[in-house]
Amino acid sequence: MKYSGKNAGGQSSAFVFIIAWLVLLLLTGISLLSSYLHLGTFAPVVEFGIAATQAAIIFVLFMRLKGPPSLNWLFAGAGFFWLLLLYGISMTDYATRRGWPLH
Amino acid sequence: MRSLRPEMQYATLAQQRETAQLGMLGFIATETLFFGALIFTYFIYRNAYPHEFAAAAKDAVLWCGSVNIGLLLTSSLTMVLAIDAAAEGRRRALVFWLFATVFLGIVFICIKGFEWYLDYRDQVVPAVNFVFKPGEGPASELFWVFYFIATPLHALHLTIGIALVLYMLTRVRRGELTPAYYAPLEVVGLYWSFVDTVWVFLYPAIYLVGR
Repeated sequence: MKYSGKNAGGQSSAFVFIIAWLVLLLLTGISLLSSYLHLGTFAPVVEFGIAATQAAIIFVLFMRLKGPPSLNWLFAGAGFFWLLLLYGISMTDYATRRGWPLH
Repeated sequence: MRSLRPEMQYATLAQQRETAQLGMLGFIATETLFFGALIFTYFIYRNAYPHEFAAAAKDAVLWCGSVNIGLLLTSSLTMVLAIDAAAEGRRRALVFWLFATVFLGIVFICIKGFEWYLDYRDQVVPAVNFVFKPGEGPASELFWVFYFIATPLHALHLTIGIALVLYMLTRVRRGELTPAYYAPLEVVGLYWSFVDTVWVFLYPAIYLVGR
């Protein structure tokens, strides 16, 4: 049985991939430049916000999760769901611990 | 060429392909937790000791990290182009893009190795030759502990990825990846792009702090 490697949600072409690659490189450049702007406490928000955007582009286009919701989305999303639980429950400790950080 | 029949537990090749993809995505979910926990630890300590982390991170070799993120993003492009070539039966293009992916991965590892050498020379390797520099506090060493756990783990994952792509090249040579069935290559592509994504997060964590 023959099947198409391209998801039903859209026909990905080399052109789309090359544009996505250029956007990823551009975002890396913006991230690098932003690190010299002395944004203080906002610096990690900007840098990791850009990283999350890059990750989304890689997941949706390069990992071909584009298209209607499917089991693939469920499996890919499961990791992030458990990660949020891990972060959330861990933060209940670090956000409320007395005498932290140690100096 | 191998006959294009699904393995006995699957009704169709499409079902076999879908199962293979879900298996890899399930594995990637565990890897997300694995690296996610590591990055969480990083944030806890960076938030607790921002000045020590900024002082320590100034010694990270920015050009190595920046060139390497470019290489990995490009390798993700070459990998999807290889998958497209497999889907369309363009064998020469498939081989070319797979070799390009392997080449970019190997160059990444070489630059990473050279960077570790520079780090050693700069005396920032915890438990080996770490020396505190002016402005650094005790927590500065924690930054380098994170660095020397995260970057070898990532390099190990990439090395496995390179081996998998080389294995795909042997399968292409044996005529086992055709437009009718190339799911193994798609699964390796998923893994490769995930390893790329990990570096996308390690890059700002290591190289952009305290610039």
